[in-house]
Amino acid sequence: MKKIQNIFTAKGETERSGLDLLRNFSQPTTFVSGVLLLLVVLCATFAPLIAPTDPYDLSVVSILDGRLAPGEQMFDGTIAWLGTDGAGRDVLSAILFGLRTSLIVAVCSAFIALIIGLLVGLIAAYFGGKIDAFLMRIVDIQLSFPAILVALVLLALLGKGIDKVIIALAIVQWAIYARTVRASAIVERRKEYIEAATSLGLSSFRIIWRHLMPNSISPLIVLATIQTAHSISIEATLSFLGVGVPITEPSLGSLISNGFDYILSGAYWITFFPGIMLLATVASINIVGDRLRVLLNPKIS
Amino acid sequence: MLGFVIRRLLQSVVVLFIMSLIVFSMINLVGDPVDMLVNPESLPDEIERVRRDFGLDQPVHIQYWKFLTGALSGDLGNSFIFGRPALSLIAERFPATIELATCALFIAVVIGLPLGIYAGLNPKGLKARMIMGGSVLGLSIPTFWLGLMMIIVFSVLLGWLPVAGRGDTAVFLGIESSIFTLDGLRHIIMPAINLSLFKISMVIRLTRAGVEEVMALDFIKFAQARGLSSQRIIRSHLLPNILIPIITVLAIEFGTLIAFATVTESIFAWPGVGKLVIDAIVNLDRPIVVAYLLFVVTLFLVLNLIVDILYAALDPRVRLQGGRE
Repeated sequence: MKKIQNIFTAKGETERSGLDLLRNFSQPTTFVSGVLLLLVVLCATFAPLIAPTDPYDLSVVSILDGRLAPGEQMFDGTIAWLGTDGAGRDVLSAILFGLRTSLIVAVCSAFIALIIGLLVGLIAAYFGGKIDAFLMRIVDIQLSFPAILVALVLLALLGKGIDKVIIALAIVQWAIYARTVRASAIVERRKEYIEAATSLGLSSFRIIWRHLMPNSISPLIVLATIQTAHSISIEATLSFLGVGVPITEPSLGSLISNGFDYILSGAYWITFFPGIMLLATVASINIVGDRLRVLLNPKIS
Repeated sequence: MLGFVIRRLLQSVVVLFIMSLIVFSMINLVGDPVDMLVNPESLPDEIERVRRDFGLDQPVHIQYWKFLTGALSGDLGNSFIFGRPALSLIAERFPATIELATCALFIAVVIGLPLGIYAGLNPKGLKARMIMGGSVLGLSIPTFWLGLMMIIVFSVLLGWLPVAGRGDTAVFLGIESSIFTLDGLRHIIMPAINLSLFKISMVIRLTRAGVEEVMALDFIKFAQARGLSSQRIIRSHLLPNILIPIITVLAIEFGTLIAFATVTESIFAWPGVGKLVIDAIVNLDRPIVVAYLLFVVTLFLVLNLIVDILYAALDPRVRLQGGRE
């Protein structure tokens, strides 16, 4: 069985794109975005270690430090490079912790959506007929509504909380994965190795899991990258509207929302810097994802 | 064709029914609206009375039955907070949302189309690459954050534009809108630009792709060989060929503009439906949330149906079969 599979998985392709990957990432824009993305992920991972203060330790945060402009010194001598918010929290530290929340929500929801989408897409492609028509009709209907609207409604129904936001975003995204997997799996389904596996009498489960899935999964890599950026913005928007993650564990969106109350008094830094971080994160993922799409798709270029 | 329309309409009714069932059963699991309606210090029998008045003491399936029979006669229940029919509250505010979305769409086309054509005609130039880079930025930038930055720059620092509200409105040709007064224009310009930003980027990318595709075709080469001016080629040969896909996409995107208006309306305190529903979600005003949802679902089902019919009308190759391959 291994042999039959290997003939059709076209092993040479992955090696070629590995080389292309290196060459393409030496382009200045892509290189900068790649480095930026790496930095963002590192900052989020090590937030508790590199943040100057712990913004959620109430024994440290003091209202006396409220609304300091960027670069001013806080009461205990630490310099607030990006200023402080109304409650005296260091904006830089809050951003690092917020980034962490944003990324966790986006990655978890993208992962859950990917699993559900993969399952649905494979089942639809493998069994075809009525099952396929039914599943794809649901996908069509869901995709005809804008993601932000579906997420908003789901959160109105589910209530607040990080877990709820992850569930809502996963439900919002599964359909696009399902459609993509189905498209590539339906092509694989017609190839000889699947026929060979079927005539060997393998169970449907085994054929889907061992043969169909590994060969249909590659378009999902690019999609998952771009969807992660997408779900970071949706989550930020929802949190900004006050229906996303709770204020006790703010994401970048809730930080911006928090700064909304201060913009009329001129304290721009409370909203400005979290937004820059959000923009940098989303833009770098988008550019890297776009590059990956061009690389992995032989039809473009 | 008629069969297709009928099948789609039936399907829409099924979707609406399932939607209402899911929404109604799930919304009852979140929070207790009575807590939002009564004074926290009220006596227990007072709380019970409010609960009874709103029919919230009954089991969910009876509440749903009441809602469903009401909905069939056009009554989607009264708002808990305003005490008025939810549907008329939505209908009152919908024109403001439509106005905002239309202005945003207009801006997106007026700015996006020329830039996209330029980038498509001179793909290698520095300006074209800047336009395309800008459009990537426009797709990545968080809309709501940009709205706040616009307020900081144009309202707080420069003091040019008002921060919130719709301003004066005037009636012209039977339409009440703020674009007919100077004050209204000053109010709408920021929210409309904010809402259109994402669409500008989209129109640029769509147009450029269309231009590159069409410019490579033979009839453009013949037109050039005939010595027609490039202006004439763009106007009478290029534009008609790229406009159809752009118009269809924009028709679909009008729905997402209305959805995204929720965010813009919250930032600029624009008195539209979006703001109403966000407040309703926060205040657990269930009838408004349910009514808004059914309203929007209907809107989208109708929009999609119109787009599908338009597709078939514009392009005979498209066969309408109810979405199956």
